[in-house]
Amino acid sequence: MNLLKYRVRTFFRYKDLIKALVSRDLKLKYRRSFLGYVWSVLNPLMIMIVLTLVFSSLFQKSIENFPVYLFTGRILYDFLKASTTNALKSVTANAPLLKKVYMPKYIFTVSKVTSCMVDMVLSMAALVIVMIFTGAPFYPEFLLCPIVIVQVYLFCCGLGFFLAQLHVFFRDIEYIYSAVLTAWLYLTPIMYPLDVLPDYLQAIVKYANPLYYYVAQFRDLIYYGRFPGVRVFVGGWLIALVMLAFGIWSFQRSKDRFILYI
Amino acid sequence: MDNRDYIVDVDHLWIRFNLASQKVDNLKEYAIKMLKHELMFQEFFALQDVSLKVKKGEAWGLIGTNGSGKSTLLKAISGILKPYRGTITKHGSIAPLIELGAGFDGNLTARENIFLNGMVLGHSRKFMEEHFEEIVEFANIRKFLDSPIKNFSSGMKARLGFSVATVVNPDILVVDEVLEVGDYNFRRRCNERMRQMLAGGTTLLFVSHNIQTVKGLCDHAIWLDKGVVRMSGESGPVCDAYLEEQEATAHANKEKKRKKMREEGKQYDYLVVGAGLFGAVFAHEMAQAGKRCLVIDKRDHIGGNVYTENVDGIQVHRYGAHIFHTSDKEVWDYVNKLTEFNNYINSPVAVYKDELYNLPFNMNTFSQLWGLRRPQEVKEKIASQIAGLNITEPKNLEEQALSLVGPDVYEKLIRGYTQKQWGRDCRELPAFIIKRLPLRFTYDNNYFNDRYQGIPIGGYTQMVEKLLEDVDVMTDTDFFEFRKSHAGQFRKVVYTGMIDEYFDYRFGHLQYRTVRFDTERIEEENYQGNAVVNYTEREVPYTRVIEHKHFAPEEERKNPKAYTIISREYSQEWGPGSEPYYPVNDEKNGALYEKYLELAEKEQGVIFGGRLGAYRYYDMDKVIRAALDASQKELG
Repeated sequence: MNLLKYRVRTFFRYKDLIKALVSRDLKLKYRRSFLGYVWSVLNPLMIMIVLTLVFSSLFQKSIENFPVYLFTGRILYDFLKASTTNALKSVTANAPLLKKVYMPKYIFTVSKVTSCMVDMVLSMAALVIVMIFTGAPFYPEFLLCPIVIVQVYLFCCGLGFFLAQLHVFFRDIEYIYSAVLTAWLYLTPIMYPLDVLPDYLQAIVKYANPLYYYVAQFRDLIYYGRFPGVRVFVGGWLIALVMLAFGIWSFQRSKDRFILYI
Repeated sequence: MDNRDYIVDVDHLWIRFNLASQKVDNLKEYAIKMLKHELMFQEFFALQDVSLKVKKGEAWGLIGTNGSGKSTLLKAISGILKPYRGTITKHGSIAPLIELGAGFDGNLTARENIFLNGMVLGHSRKFMEEHFEEIVEFANIRKFLDSPIKNFSSGMKARLGFSVATVVNPDILVVDEVLEVGDYNFRRRCNERMRQMLAGGTTLLFVSHNIQTVKGLCDHAIWLDKGVVRMSGESGPVCDAYLEEQEATAHANKEKKRKKMREEGKQYDYLVVGAGLFGAVFAHEMAQAGKRCLVIDKRDHIGGNVYTENVDGIQVHRYGAHIFHTSDKEVWDYVNKLTEFNNYINSPVAVYKDELYNLPFNMNTFSQLWGLRRPQEVKEKIASQIAGLNITEPKNLEEQALSLVGPDVYEKLIRGYTQKQWGRDCRELPAFIIKRLPLRFTYDNNYFNDRYQGIPIGGYTQMVEKLLEDVDVMTDTDFFEFRKSHAGQFRKVVYTGMIDEYFDYRFGHLQYRTVRFDTERIEEENYQGNAVVNYTEREVPYTRVIEHKHFAPEEERKNPKAYTIISREYSQEWGPGSEPYYPVNDEKNGALYEKYLELAEKEQGVIFGGRLGAYRYYDMDKVIRAALDASQKELG
């Protein structure tokens, strides 16, 4: 109990550092670019236009308002991809610092995931723009989407912890993971409707793909304007918390040995 | 609890490392190692059974040679390394100064970094806001608050790091030989600050190679040797014992060398002082002619200022950029017989604010300046700019330069650079420094006008090694000491050191202009895209940035590297004891040199040569020519 109290205290002691690291990431991302933060909105918007042009003819009949359908999935995938790839390198990239100053090592992982989340929230503006342009209806359920974002955030933190500690010992994971990410993109109904998949694959995606749970909830809230089904809602929370617990456990277990390998 | 008496209590501490060679960081290796049962078997104890009990308010110095475990102990106390066996108990907050500025992000401004760094040390934003002024004040960097920290010199970074780290009075201050980079003034202020903190009850753990500082600052000391405590207690006796042993080892090493020499009973025809280009070429020629030469050098390497050092596969010109260029065919053939040269052509660029210009001043430069394309237009443009100024007799360097090239070129490319170089405003500098400013009306960026140009493939050091192949060489040897113990073992002396030092400065010091290099490895494949980039605005503190890998494009093509090494070059005021680079050829120093020269001519059995011996600025080809001539003269 004492240990927990101590951990919570250190976390709060370093909360300003997390804030500072997040704002550094955001600042440096667009420093010296002409449009600055506008790119957080503009970039997904531009990619969306390209994807819509390419894919809409493919699934024109089956999906109504393809841009919004695509966007609701894509935005979560992009967050997952950016946050976990950044988190993966968060410990190794800060090796010089960790070798010299004592501080909780998870700070860097948390701050990377957090800054990606802020970036995602900014790009929600692009989603709103797309919805306005395509004349999509706005449902009051839209306002509930922070619930989904929190789930994904916790999931990404957990996965990020796991990857970050693994990367310290096996640098290969970086390349393996990027392949995993590609597979993950195609195994999630982001650019296509779920029912184009054969039945057995549908089942796998529906039950075993964590991202599916979040995309489904997100679409329920924004695209269909209804409260998510119980299975995906409860499942989403469960998966997020289990992943987080697993990530923290794996990180804690090996964090004292980091210094010998970075 | 009785161990409350101790603020830091290290009890029988062991720290284990896996040896670097056994580092396994990819799956394949891991699998192989696992199968062979080799995993984790190579262990190495950086600290063995170390105990250290520190009471509140004490100042402990940690001393020992490199690799003795001092930093490891500090890291263990800071909590970065976990004990393998034994325990560490601490009571109170720790401020680590293990490496000043660890945690600075080069892309952020100094202001942003102050906050970030403070928070890395565990302070809150509010706390940093309250102490911001204090930090800026102590670091003395107000002018540069909003420039990115990557432009800072290492001294400035150290200053900033120290003031952030010491803003709070910690219970325990941990300092790891970080203050050596700052200048004298800064070190003095740091020591003062540390004394203040000590007086305020802070406990200090201090690592330094400077035993005098340890003695002055610390009341206790612990001496580590290969991870084992050799001695610990009052700082006086421990430091003395350490120094004694250090001296004994150094002495033993030198003695060994000398003994070998004496045993061999060698008699030399020439003792060459200085293993630079002059000395090496001279000794080479003499050896070829069957004479026996001994070359000695004060430094721990040969080559003098042309010395290049292999740092992670990049040849680093440690004493500044050296580009070989000559129109003397004989000299060119001479060096090419020694080693292969690449086809490097020096074409520096100048950065002024956000603008980039080619050097030397040629049609590329002018078209970048004015958008003009034809030489005739440029000539007219310059003539009209100069005519508008009405300078008939230039009174200072500014007017001189203006009357030669006009205001545009002067403002952007000459003014700031010259000011940084001489440390004075251009209006306070005499006109004669610039006699002419060559303007080139062709599109030619080759800096030199010489017929031949290049850099030895593999660096200069191996070229000098080749020269000294059949010659005895002793580095780390000071001439003035050496001749005391070896009088009569050589017939003649060739002296390439400072001529005024040879005569014990009896007429006073000759002056030199000196430069300082701040060399840094950057994890970037290509930092600036050119070997030499001049920074001509006054606000950037350095004059040039050299990126060493671009001197050897052939090597980079063969073995591309993901990192690079750069040196920022700062002009510095000269003082006795600083590294002499360029002789100052003004009237005062010229006259002084004449007086020394008279003495030199009377001195029997000594030949003076090289840049320092002849007190003149020599390009490399000129030095080689002079050494060849000198050896010809000797051989008759």
